[in-house]
Amino acid sequence: MEKHLSSTAFQPVRPAAPQDSADLPTGYGTTESYLLPKDPAWMFLFWEIIPATFDYVRAQYGQETLNRSRTIIRLYDITGVDYFDGNNAHIFYDMPVMLDAKSWYVHAPQSGRSYIADLGFLTPEGQFILLTRTNVTSLPPGKVSDIIDDQWMCVEGDFIKLLELSGAAHIGLGASERMHVIDQRWRLTELAGALRAPSSAMSSWSSFALHTAPAPQEDEDIWLKADCEIIVYGSASRNAIVSINGKEIQLQDGRFSFRQALPSGAVLDLPIKATNKKGDKQRQVHIKALREQGK
Amino acid sequence: MGQEKGYLALVLHAHLPFIKHPEYPDFLEEDWFYEAMVETYLPLLNVFENLTDEGVDFRLTMSVTPPLCNMMSDPLLIERFRHYLNQRVELSEKELQRTHGTDFAPVAKMYYDKFRRLKDLFENKYHSHVLEGFKKFQDMGKLEIITCGATHGYLPLMVHKESVNAQVKIAANDYRIRFGRSPRGIWLGECAYNPGDDKFLRDEGIRFFFMESHGILHGTPRPKYGIYAPVYCPKTGVAAFARDMESAQQVWSAESGYPGDARYREFYRDLGYDLDYDYIKPYLHSDGVRRNIGMKYCKITGKVPLNQKAPYYPDEARSVAAEHAGNFMFNRQKQIEYLATLMDRKPLVVSMYDAELYGHWWYEGIDFLEFLFKKIYYDQKDIKLITPMEYLEMYPVNQTVQPSMSSWGDKGYHDVWLNSGNDWIYRHLIKSAERMRDLANAHPHAGGLLGRTLNQMARELVLMQSSDWAFLMTTGTAKEYSTKRTKDHVQRFNELYEQIKHNRINEAYVYDLECRDSIFQEIDYNVYSSAAKDKVLNQYK
Repeated sequence: MEKHLSSTAFQPVRPAAPQDSADLPTGYGTTESYLLPKDPAWMFLFWEIIPATFDYVRAQYGQETLNRSRTIIRLYDITGVDYFDGNNAHIFYDMPVMLDAKSWYVHAPQSGRSYIADLGFLTPEGQFILLTRTNVTSLPPGKVSDIIDDQWMCVEGDFIKLLELSGAAHIGLGASERMHVIDQRWRLTELAGALRAPSSAMSSWSSFALHTAPAPQEDEDIWLKADCEIIVYGSASRNAIVSINGKEIQLQDGRFSFRQALPSGAVLDLPIKATNKKGDKQRQVHIKALREQGK
Repeated sequence: MGQEKGYLALVLHAHLPFIKHPEYPDFLEEDWFYEAMVETYLPLLNVFENLTDEGVDFRLTMSVTPPLCNMMSDPLLIERFRHYLNQRVELSEKELQRTHGTDFAPVAKMYYDKFRRLKDLFENKYHSHVLEGFKKFQDMGKLEIITCGATHGYLPLMVHKESVNAQVKIAANDYRIRFGRSPRGIWLGECAYNPGDDKFLRDEGIRFFFMESHGILHGTPRPKYGIYAPVYCPKTGVAAFARDMESAQQVWSAESGYPGDARYREFYRDLGYDLDYDYIKPYLHSDGVRRNIGMKYCKITGKVPLNQKAPYYPDEARSVAAEHAGNFMFNRQKQIEYLATLMDRKPLVVSMYDAELYGHWWYEGIDFLEFLFKKIYYDQKDIKLITPMEYLEMYPVNQTVQPSMSSWGDKGYHDVWLNSGNDWIYRHLIKSAERMRDLANAHPHAGGLLGRTLNQMARELVLMQSSDWAFLMTTGTAKEYSTKRTKDHVQRFNELYEQIKHNRINEAYVYDLECRDSIFQEIDYNVYSSAAKDKVLNQYK
């Protein structure tokens, strides 16, 4: 399945470094988790939980308790908290998670806040059993500050004009054209006729960026914009060939995820198929999503 | 302060990832460097030479990133570039005869003159070291060369701050070797800023960096002047300058930007495909596949198929570039004039671009810059070119604002470098960073083979951290190459880690990697120690 690099068509004068051909490790043998910022509304959480950690909580709480429990992400808002001891968050949010996924995009309830995430079991009685805790991540505010500096006061009208001139309404938009141009530039250096790999990330770019500040308009006293993307994720046997809607998708450590915009009124029909190397065994999951026409 | 109403800071970001493959006699992706040398870096130096000969004063701020500095100084890549350039000189000479008396004679003559001029600059003026040229104009006070993270690393996604510290320190050290003084400014890779990272900049004496506009607009408290004056980061006093969107759009916009003019050179019609195979074959790669060779004879013409493009006339295109430079200047004059009515100081417009846009993508962009410098110098008195340091010397008192986390990528944050197509790399990048820190803590100031191994691990780590790989995975172009590069550096790092851990360092293997991944000859892995990071952060407790 691994296509050869374009440039390896040339004769090497020295062999590749001996370790280069191996696959990357799927884990590093430690229980740990990390939380990375993505934008004002999203974070990326990834983890590794080794069997010894499960053995430990099983010994502490019993297999039966774990069987009755749900696995969750517990996201704490710890903005301004110097040292988080597990109990001094402003508020926390629980969300169900499949631990086998190994990574997750976590929606932040509020921009401009600091978060830390735990992964663990939540018992029906409401007891939380910790498996691993992440680092702290702080998200950007995604908007113009309400705080005004009394040393650097300005006439409100002038500030609004400067803000408009500064491009407040176009944040993040100009960049996509730049990206397109650079993309073209790199593409030209590729082998003629080489297939352009499908990029699942591309499909979501068209969606409306939630953090984009709208230009202030005096005739509107309230506004709301919302949009939707869906993330399909899963895992399969390491050597399986997985396709979504007929398009082959690359597995990373046996996992895949696929993100796509879900515009108003759209019906997404995503048959997911895994085939073994020989091509004689198949597994299928069919996911359908409908977004009703918004007003 | 003169009678000017405000200032324009032009900033070019010159960068390529470190690509060097000594294991192959001929490697496709190395062309990115050779093309940029012929189309952008040497032509820019040629502009600086012309302006200086003519007595035109100019100011330009330009990053020459550490990977690019390393490639420009690498003996193997220099030799291969010399070959690349000589081939073009040879082909353009043949082309003079072939095109004699045809509509293509003027464009053939243009390439012939250009390649010979660049060869002369490269060999006789800079003695094969183009950094000599850049240094010369910096020493003259015309050019402010700024550094970048060691390998254009994406700092906000580095959880271990030792890595942020190392990206800055390795870069600053490399800069001192190349340019004989410390850097005063930095281009953060992808303009990606994480609040607090300015502490590591300050520790290297770096006084300013650049951001996307919302980095300052979304700062706290509100920035009084929007993006038309710099702000100081709290505690560190490092200045942040933000990108002006209006001037950016004029050049970048696919629809209305200058580069789309029908009289400019068409990028997609290339001699590599147009000429007889036997005639062009010696100038192709050793596999003999037709590819772009960088000589193009047609103009954009209009919305017509590639085979209906009209001949390119260099004089015509040059006059359009002059027109566009005039238009750009006029728009800045009007913009600055208006901004000045809203501000109680002289406004500063910061126009930031990828350097490779000029010359490589927009062929006439180099002429545009030359005309722009000349027009600003000769034709008007409203605006003046300035560098960030000159501005800070003029206005040493600036508002203190905590800039917002941001980048210049699509959607303004980290989406391009962190999405479902590339998020798998962070597990490995972060683990490697953690291991590097732990080894640096466990083996301070190791010498001999252990020291060499640790230094090579540091090289593998910075190379895997290049933001270019995640970027290329997202755009989908060169996805295989960028995936392979990420995996290779992680593998090599892990192998060295295991060798140290099990006390079985294989010298031949270390040596092999030292030859391949030869960036930063002077690297010292001790920059990854927690003590080095704490020394910086403790100043602010």
